[in-house]
Amino acid sequence: MDAFFASVEQLDNPFLKGKPVAVGGGENRGVVAAASYEARKFGVRSAMSGKIAKQKCPHLIFVRPHFERYREVSGQVMDIFHEYTDLVQPMSLDEAYLDVTENKIGDIYAAKIAKSIKDKIFETTGLTASAGVSFNKFLAKIASDMNKPNGLKVILPKDAQALLDTLPIEKFHGIGEKTAERMRRHGIHNGYDIRLKELDFLEKHFGKAGSFYYHIVRCIDNREVKTEWVRKSLGAEETFDIDIIEPEDLIAQLSIIAKTVSNRLEKRELKGHTVTLKIKYHDFELKTRSKTFTNWINDAEELLAHAIELLYIPELPKKSVRLLGISISNLNNEEQTPPKLSLSVAFDLQLKLPFNDQFLLDSTQALPPNLRNLNQ
Amino acid sequence: MKFIVSTNDLLKQLDLVDGVVVSKPLIPILENFLFEIKGGNLKITTTDLETFMTTSLKVEADSDIDIAVPSKVSLETLKNLPTQPVTFSIDEASKSIEINTGNGRYKLTGNEAKDFPKFPELESENSIVLSSKVLLKAINKTIFATGTDELRINLTGVYCQITDTHINFVATDANRLVRVQRKGFKNGFETSFILPKKAMNLLKNALPNDESPVKIEFNSSYAFFSFTGVSLICRLIDERYPDYTAVIPTENPNKLSINRNDFISAMKRVSIYSNKTTNQVRLKIAGSEMTISAEDYDFANEATERLSCNYEGADIEIGFNARFLTEMLNAVDTEEVKMEFSMPNRAGLLLPSENESEEDILMLIMPMMINV
Repeated sequence: MDAFFASVEQLDNPFLKGKPVAVGGGENRGVVAAASYEARKFGVRSAMSGKIAKQKCPHLIFVRPHFERYREVSGQVMDIFHEYTDLVQPMSLDEAYLDVTENKIGDIYAAKIAKSIKDKIFETTGLTASAGVSFNKFLAKIASDMNKPNGLKVILPKDAQALLDTLPIEKFHGIGEKTAERMRRHGIHNGYDIRLKELDFLEKHFGKAGSFYYHIVRCIDNREVKTEWVRKSLGAEETFDIDIIEPEDLIAQLSIIAKTVSNRLEKRELKGHTVTLKIKYHDFELKTRSKTFTNWINDAEELLAHAIELLYIPELPKKSVRLLGISISNLNNEEQTPPKLSLSVAFDLQLKLPFNDQFLLDSTQALPPNLRNLNQ
Repeated sequence: MKFIVSTNDLLKQLDLVDGVVVSKPLIPILENFLFEIKGGNLKITTTDLETFMTTSLKVEADSDIDIAVPSKVSLETLKNLPTQPVTFSIDEASKSIEINTGNGRYKLTGNEAKDFPKFPELESENSIVLSSKVLLKAINKTIFATGTDELRINLTGVYCQITDTHINFVATDANRLVRVQRKGFKNGFETSFILPKKAMNLLKNALPNDESPVKIEFNSSYAFFSFTGVSLICRLIDERYPDYTAVIPTENPNKLSINRNDFISAMKRVSIYSNKTTNQVRLKIAGSEMTISAEDYDFANEATERLSCNYEGADIEIGFNARFLTEMLNAVDTEEVKMEFSMPNRAGLLLPSENESEEDILMLIMPMMINV
């Protein structure tokens, strides 16, 4: 869907039509969740802070997000997809892969199907969508990005290799700014440059992703369209009105976040093994720390205790913190393979005497005196 | 000057205090024994600045002298000599020390005695007197349970808690805990402090296993032990000890009594088959039978052994670190040992079947999680 959230807002509120609109980001510290195409012309992008967006586009209109409404529209769109095929893999509220090799309307031309879906979406919702058609997921995604908005792009097998060869690496789905920078240092600027590299080289420098890049630049992407989407993690985070650094403040915030996460877990009857603490510093440096436990975690207090431990280990934030988040993964909705006993897990198997200052004992760094009574 | 001493007598005293000496100390003089001879009495002092220890013995000396003697060379020499009288000839000006035996002459250079740190004068606030045997037992039963984590420095020592009527010696590494309680005192004051493990080990080697009195004096920074010619002063661990009483479970409906030696032997055999990382064994207790089992899936190793026992309570299956449990069983003296449990994830109690009078020994061990 094109500028999905913003388009929905423009649809529901005719006053916004044709105007630069940002969904979210209106509050002091918020970020833009979506920007209308009118706003994008000024350089407003999603995930941009509201302040910067306003600088770029002074007459930008900020609107509050209406997630219930987006979900409703998304549901309508997904229903349309299912009129064509059941092999639908939703990637987000407004994006999905469809495998139409075999389809319900018996058409052999994927491009025709894509056009038909686009028309139907517009008829039903009044919104435009962009479609990409090709013979694997990677190329379909690339294609969908090529003619936005309201676009339809087909990449035929005979054109695919030439297109990938000239495609700048930044345009590769999955290659972000950091990876692109590292690739450039190795003299890799486009798909062709990647194709010149050995598999070993790519794996050595880019890990598992290296092997993926090696294959996709050869038009090989055998990932199936998976209809069942399994949640891998669940979390919550909070951006603060003012940056904080005092341990008391950080812990107070973690306590609120832990409760939110716990509520969300409860609602979905989920629990997990791995707790991850996300810290974004005032300078936007992002750190995550995580630890895996052998028991199932869904309780707010336990989540908080682990999050606090992660906050202290290896060290308390030395810079003021803009955002904190807690997430839990290794959830009980997947088939469990018993975690291989690593040393730290073996260590966790041994239960500890529950001293009142257990937390103090468990951290590898003594708490400041003003926090010593925290758990008492 | 010269003095004559039996190698055996001198070695015995040097062995007591040598444990204080650290290799590569902060200042080189600490690698020495301080010899102070006065009126035929040789006083030997060692220190690492945290701990000071002295002992003394009679020697045949022709005059008085103070000198610092390199510990390693002198000790090695004496250790490798058969028991015999040896003569130490010391030149005070050059600090040259010559050890003469019937056949040999060993020459080494000593150091200025006045460079050796002074034994601190302790202004004690309080003191208690214990029999050496009692203190030795308390140390032996607690020291193995102290922590080794330098980041949890408070758990690396033995906690000494003195109340009006009794003294508790407590050690824990957060996995297990031992409390040795001695009753029948009239102390008239209450205090507590954490004694460092090093000093406890030194005392363990030096305390005679008899009734000789040990006087312990202390203030907020130091403890001072004196007994049978030996003095030891150590700096206390300046940390807060956790409230250990809060973790001693009070409701333990499941009670086991079992022959201690049989239990230890079975543990030794079965634990050979446990996973080397976790050291885990499982105890399954039902009726009057305890099944000990261990397995290591990595090697497809497993072992099971059955023991008869007296058991009151619900069937239970509980996992333990074999090393921790065996160490604790070894610290019990009685033929039978009692264990008490509540749940497989709560601390288990380990108790001797009976205590000596005026003594109460309690051990706690945290289980390991099973079925994960």
